[in-house]
Amino acid sequence: MLSYVLRRLAILALSLLLASVVLFVLLRLLPGDPASALLGVGASPEQIASAQAQVGSNLPLGEQFVRFLAKLARLDLGRSFVSTLPVGPEIAARLTVTIPLTLLAFALALIIAVPLGIIAAVKSDRWYGAAISSVSQLGIAVPVFWVGILLVTVFAVQLRLFPSGGFPRRGWDAPIEVLHALVLPVLTIAIVMSSSLIRYVRSATLDVLGSDYLRTSRALGATFSGAMLRHGVRNGSVPVISILGIELATTFLGAVVVERVFTLPGLGSMLLLGIQQRDYPNVQGVLFVSTLLVLLIGFLADFVQRLVDPRLRDKISGAAQ
Amino acid sequence: MSTARDGGSVSAAAGRKRSPTLIVGLILVGIHVAVALLTLVWTPYEPSDTSGSRLEAPSWEHPAGTDRLGRDLLTQIMIGSRIALAVGSGAIGIGALIGVTFGLLAAFATRLLDDALAALLDILIAFPTLLLAMLVVAAQGGASLGSAVLALGIAISAIVARLTRIVSKRVLSQDYITASRTSGTSWPAVVFRHVLPNIWPTLVVNFALQFGLAVIAEASLSYLGLGTPPPNASWGRLLLEAQGTVLTAPVGAIAPGIALVMLVLGMNFVADGLRDVGDPTRRRTR
Amino acid sequence: MTERKSRYAIFHIPALAALIMFVFAPSIFASGSPEAGGQTVNPATNYDPNATIRIGSLYEPQNLDNTAGAGQGVTEAFNGNVYEGLFRLADSGAVEKLLATDYSVSDDGLTYTFQLRRDVKFHSGDPLTAQDVKYSIERVMAPDSKSSRKSSLNPIAGIQTPDEHTVVVKLSSRSVSLPYNLTYVWIVNDSAKNLTTSEDGTGPYRLDQWRRGSTLSLVRNDEYWGDAPTNKEVVFHYFTDATALNNALLTGAIDIITSVQSPDSLRQFTDNPNFTVKDGHSTTKEVLAFNDRVKPFNNVKVRKAVSQAIDDKKLLNSIWGDYGTLIGSFVPPTDPWYEDLTDVNAYDPEHAKQLLAEAGYPDGFTFTLDTPNYDPHPVVAQFVKSELAKVGITVNINIITANEWYTKIYQAHNFEATLQEHVNDRDIVFYGDPDFYWGYDNQQVNELIASAEQSKTPEERNQKLEKANRIIAEEAASDWLYLYPQIVISSSTVTGYPVNGLNSQFYAYNIKKAPEA
Repeated sequence: MLSYVLRRLAILALSLLLASVVLFVLLRLLPGDPASALLGVGASPEQIASAQAQVGSNLPLGEQFVRFLAKLARLDLGRSFVSTLPVGPEIAARLTVTIPLTLLAFALALIIAVPLGIIAAVKSDRWYGAAISSVSQLGIAVPVFWVGILLVTVFAVQLRLFPSGGFPRRGWDAPIEVLHALVLPVLTIAIVMSSSLIRYVRSATLDVLGSDYLRTSRALGATFSGAMLRHGVRNGSVPVISILGIELATTFLGAVVVERVFTLPGLGSMLLLGIQQRDYPNVQGVLFVSTLLVLLIGFLADFVQRLVDPRLRDKISGAAQ
Repeated sequence: MSTARDGGSVSAAAGRKRSPTLIVGLILVGIHVAVALLTLVWTPYEPSDTSGSRLEAPSWEHPAGTDRLGRDLLTQIMIGSRIALAVGSGAIGIGALIGVTFGLLAAFATRLLDDALAALLDILIAFPTLLLAMLVVAAQGGASLGSAVLALGIAISAIVARLTRIVSKRVLSQDYITASRTSGTSWPAVVFRHVLPNIWPTLVVNFALQFGLAVIAEASLSYLGLGTPPPNASWGRLLLEAQGTVLTAPVGAIAPGIALVMLVLGMNFVADGLRDVGDPTRRRTR
Repeated sequence: MTERKSRYAIFHIPALAALIMFVFAPSIFASGSPEAGGQTVNPATNYDPNATIRIGSLYEPQNLDNTAGAGQGVTEAFNGNVYEGLFRLADSGAVEKLLATDYSVSDDGLTYTFQLRRDVKFHSGDPLTAQDVKYSIERVMAPDSKSSRKSSLNPIAGIQTPDEHTVVVKLSSRSVSLPYNLTYVWIVNDSAKNLTTSEDGTGPYRLDQWRRGSTLSLVRNDEYWGDAPTNKEVVFHYFTDATALNNALLTGAIDIITSVQSPDSLRQFTDNPNFTVKDGHSTTKEVLAFNDRVKPFNNVKVRKAVSQAIDDKKLLNSIWGDYGTLIGSFVPPTDPWYEDLTDVNAYDPEHAKQLLAEAGYPDGFTFTLDTPNYDPHPVVAQFVKSELAKVGITVNINIITANEWYTKIYQAHNFEATLQEHVNDRDIVFYGDPDFYWGYDNQQVNELIASAEQSKTPEERNQKLEKANRIIAEEAASDWLYLYPQIVISSSTVTGYPVNGLNSQFYAYNIKKAPEA
């Protein structure tokens, strides 16, 4: 077990390093520079040249990368070119928005999707089983920002039940206010995510339903629900867990559209703005942190899968696919 | 776990079930294709014609009303079909080309290389399509139909590559492949004669699903201002422009969304239908 | 299993219909506008001196130092609120003394002597001295300053501080607008550090917190030298999306929107007693800029033809409805040298065709219009395209990002024509600089503009600039499509805010908010 964990950590670290190199190079290939984000109309050519020099974008690429790595080793993600605010603390502040948003949406989606997905599979011959399947089909065909717009219009603007957007100024010092503000965004993400998850759960459950071990278990006298609980869930959950991991991981940054609809200062918005302004330290910092999160989640998902399915523990390392 | 038999011929004979889902899907998609083709020769108004009064409610002259600049909304929505189909097909095309190639290569690669590729693919896939698209759009210097298609194509290729790799490996592990090789078939011939025909059904289902996702992704990109710019606006752009007037002029905020849902739903039905009809690697249930 | 499922595939259509109805049913029954307030509220007389004013804006500062970036966001939040200058630009456009209590000018116009206000303290507690003023002015003029006002201070040759409360500014040439230019120079404590992320000014507010991407809050400075603000706290809420901004005002999450960007949403506010809509004078001009260096736009007749072929009134109306103003030149009505030149190149497509023929383009020509991808430019571009098509000119619209505009057009001058909005006031000087991106180079205009600043009196300056402006208009150096309106909307519980968007300033210290009911 220990050697497995260590090996995975090593792969994690290597992946991160590889990702950093790729990111670093890719960003420098983008046309444009942050100087133009800072200056406006009326700036003289001298001012432009001076701004470009300041930003350090005229140092050789290799040297820039070495400096970046050195700072990274000290856990210093540098300072934004545009705002000069330190990148690390800003990411931390944004994570206090993004992580709760994502986790709450994920939790809600799970609560909705797992039971409904199982019902849709087990009762696929009843009208309600098919209805669940139909609605989930609809849910994955809808763009998430549209759902957000409609929810805001009805529940915030018309009915005044929730704020139309924004993250409360005092942040988590006022948790009730924050949760109130997060209701609609969380709902928006959960609606789309749960539709997608329902389909996966349903598909996995159908696979389980048709499986040999379930039939065997029942033949040996177990009740349907007993067999499901003892064997079905464990077996069915393995592929679902890796899907869950991917869904969760992509939502951290993918929530940028929801952040736009609800004006939430999350990680995705920081990345979008950074890209538009060519603010390399910000972009690098966000991508680094999110890659870390993604790899961690993948690691966790893998781990949970092994816990659930003893057969996987025997497999030599590699994707559980 | 799965039971792929030879070449797919068994499933072809046994699996030709009628699938109403497939039919409904094809009808929905077909409507959009017909509209898109129509717009190539005719639209109710010129797309840039701003002669209507702004934010009109639906009327005989403007069946879907007008947008905030006086342009006929029905025209805009129809053109949206064309854009959506173009984006979807383009992205799938690029994705398929790159993805299948890399997936096949990975399937044939040595263990180490394969593991590395698998890890790389996992990272790429976990990276949200949208953000990948943003980077590509930024690299291209700005929003355009081409940059959106390229970006989405790249994102799709990762998923296609991973799927191709998995199903190819499954096929390659079959006995008849070894048998084929022993009797002297070259690797390229194996690929074309055995691997591709076997993996194709699974891939096509995946393509159909990705199509819908690409259309939605382009809509999201447009909402962020990074998608197809006006004129010839995509549905996402129309929704962005209409969001300020949802209550005063609801049609503009609903109709493009419905059109989009119709197309994506249709494509999803096609995917499901194809899967029901003939995918030999999918386990049948009782 | 397939067959069972298929029976219910038909479910999807009704499901979709049900979803739509569910979503919109409430709106059928709910009233379109919020309930009317009921009691009459007059915040002008009955206000809460410890209120928190919540202001909604689309312009977040890039950073907190106006010499480290030229954005309008930090001007909006900090000018007059956190930082003050020797002079202040009032909402009416008048230049008033602020930290300078008095000043005198030598006869040759090359020496200005300013007397500083006494007993003024910075937020850190340090007293305001002449050294701080010298430091502040020199910061704007420094080689690495990114301030957009830097070039206007070029005539300054040296600054002396004979005593703690006197500042002597020596010029190399006359500069009759110096007091005006000094309204943008923030007086900063010369021992302050990290001015991009913190502040040390003399203003009626100090910075409380900047949560990037979300809010910037200011809190009343109780040691302020002047009249206390009529509120305790000011919070700027930043949005990236105009609809979200409007919704925030509608739902009461904010009290004021500083500058409305889309007229369609105005309907929700104009007939609503809960809100006040004020329409002031802006200085933002929508310009169709030709590259005056290249064919065919180096030909005056061609430029005039294009200007006359576009119906500006119709364009303005289709974007802004009844709001906004038509302009015939780059000079907005609030500039001292404004003249109404709208009939110089008035809409006349027939005459436009004639001019084109005279210029040697009887069958028109084709050009590429580089268009920024954000509102309203794509819409304006389409309008321009359809108007010019009527006189035989083909326009290829090329959508670009703000970044690209800056590098390709502003720096590299690599374009034929482009669209852009110009926000500042008093920026006619751009037409006197042949190296400016549009490359207009008229000897007479250059001389007039250069010598205008060196006039002995403001009146003389105004005359020269009016003359120069007329030439610029006659030669259609650019096509000035319209002047943005300056629409400020507030909840009716709030008064005392500025209504003219002079260079994005937003003085918050007179804003009064009625007590919470």
